[in-house]
Amino acid sequence: MSEMWINMGPQHPMTHGLWNLRVKIDGEMILDVDPEMGYLHRGIEKISEDRHYNEVITLMDRCCYVAGLAWEHLYIIASEEALHLEAPERALYLRVLCEEFQRLASHLMWYAAFVQDIGLMSPFLYGMRDRDLILDLLQSYTGARMTYEYMRVGGVRSDLPPGFTDRTRKVLDWLNARFVEYDQLCLGSDIFHKRCDGLGILKANDCVAHGVTGPMLRSAGVPRDLRRDRPYAVYDQLEFDIAHADTADVTGRYLVRMEEMRQSLRILRQVVDWLDRHPGPVMADQLPRWLGAPYAPVGNEGYLLKRHYPKGLGFSAVEEPHGEAQAYVVNEGGEHPYRVKFRSPVFANISAARQYLIGYRVADIPPIMGSVDVCVGEVDR
Amino acid sequence: MQPDDVSRVLAPALGPKLLAVEPFAGMAGRVRFERGAALELFPRVRDDLGFRHLSMVGGIDWVDHREVFYVVWSDAAHQYLLLSTDVPADNPRVETASGVWPSANWHERETWELVGIEFDNHPDLRHLLTPDGYEFRPLLRSFKLHEPEELEVKTRHV
Repeated sequence: MSEMWINMGPQHPMTHGLWNLRVKIDGEMILDVDPEMGYLHRGIEKISEDRHYNEVITLMDRCCYVAGLAWEHLYIIASEEALHLEAPERALYLRVLCEEFQRLASHLMWYAAFVQDIGLMSPFLYGMRDRDLILDLLQSYTGARMTYEYMRVGGVRSDLPPGFTDRTRKVLDWLNARFVEYDQLCLGSDIFHKRCDGLGILKANDCVAHGVTGPMLRSAGVPRDLRRDRPYAVYDQLEFDIAHADTADVTGRYLVRMEEMRQSLRILRQVVDWLDRHPGPVMADQLPRWLGAPYAPVGNEGYLLKRHYPKGLGFSAVEEPHGEAQAYVVNEGGEHPYRVKFRSPVFANISAARQYLIGYRVADIPPIMGSVDVCVGEVDR
Repeated sequence: MQPDDVSRVLAPALGPKLLAVEPFAGMAGRVRFERGAALELFPRVRDDLGFRHLSMVGGIDWVDHREVFYVVWSDAAHQYLLLSTDVPADNPRVETASGVWPSANWHERETWELVGIEFDNHPDLRHLLTPDGYEFRPLLRSFKLHEPEELEVKTRHV
């Protein structure tokens, strides 16, 4: 057989977004791969330099369209550090609530897409159905299903509506029972094991060298999770376990994500209990007027008056559903960030594609890339 | 790990090329070094200090000069460390970190194409997010937004 390069993408069912995986094959064997990114590059870091701190939040939702709130959280922590601000405690709990909801929604979306990739159709429908329950809850307090714009520098936009925590508990109970079915559908299926076991192996040392984080790293036996190792918001006051596996293959990543969803339910129960017992403000008082955007009338005054704020550097790292996301915000005084830099976990996970694809067969690419959980919005930014 | 601990390990080897180790909120510190010391510094940060995981590389355009920064993570200390070096705007180049941390590869490609930092001895310095032949460095301060007409003409037939 002769060797040749083929393109999987930019529009291919495997990609789950717009990117192109160039594959060098000999027959069915993968000899080399070269991911081509950039189809979704919108220059979010550049646009941010031209916007008020709160206006950047809109872009964060577009950064990762399945985990917008996690990216908002990331940016907000870094901005508050750069601007020397602090949010009230109830806002911190609400942010954790958002992030864990988002982790569930993102993992359910991943579950639906991933199992469809390997040929199981009904789990796709169940995964999407249950993700909608999360989106309904998010909609009830943010007003949107995917692009939330909920968090603000100094707090969050609004408090929860009445009856929210009871509805949440019902959904959590429902999901807890469904996860048993999910496992039966997948782990009980021969097709699943034939297509996933022993594929896409990436050992712990390679993960670390190539910057791979998140469920991929934890499936290689490294129980690293920023929520535990470098707690932010109020994660140090919540009880949960770090999901990990030691097979370092596609099945391992499946097991890690399923366990993470169960742990998210556990966290969410603690958070809603806390929120029930502790009413309070959700925005810091004494914010500069241009930061209190939702409350102050947005007129010429708010936009044109130059208010100087002490300079500062802000860095934050958040355990996003896909892995470790980081933000670096440079505040040189004034209303716009001077420079914003984001680190996307999927960016690093895809950059290691050579390590976990070479040596497998073409038909193995969909399950392996599916187990990476690609979100192109945050790779290209 | 505190800035003093970092400085104690790095200072004997780097001497005056280690400019400062400053405190940085939420991190082990911010190491400022001469760009010529990059290849001496990186292996020491990885092996002697245990920061085995390079998380990101980025650049900042300060107009009169540019800054390249690296964020590394240590599993033992559960901390990040920021490395930062200044490069002149007329000759913005620094040695690649991808020989020490393979994960630097894509991050440096991105920094090269968006901020215009040249990474010497990089194995694969190609465009990543922008099209091949794209001649702009969008994250430089001289690249202004709100000038769509001019940009459209220049980038249509790259």
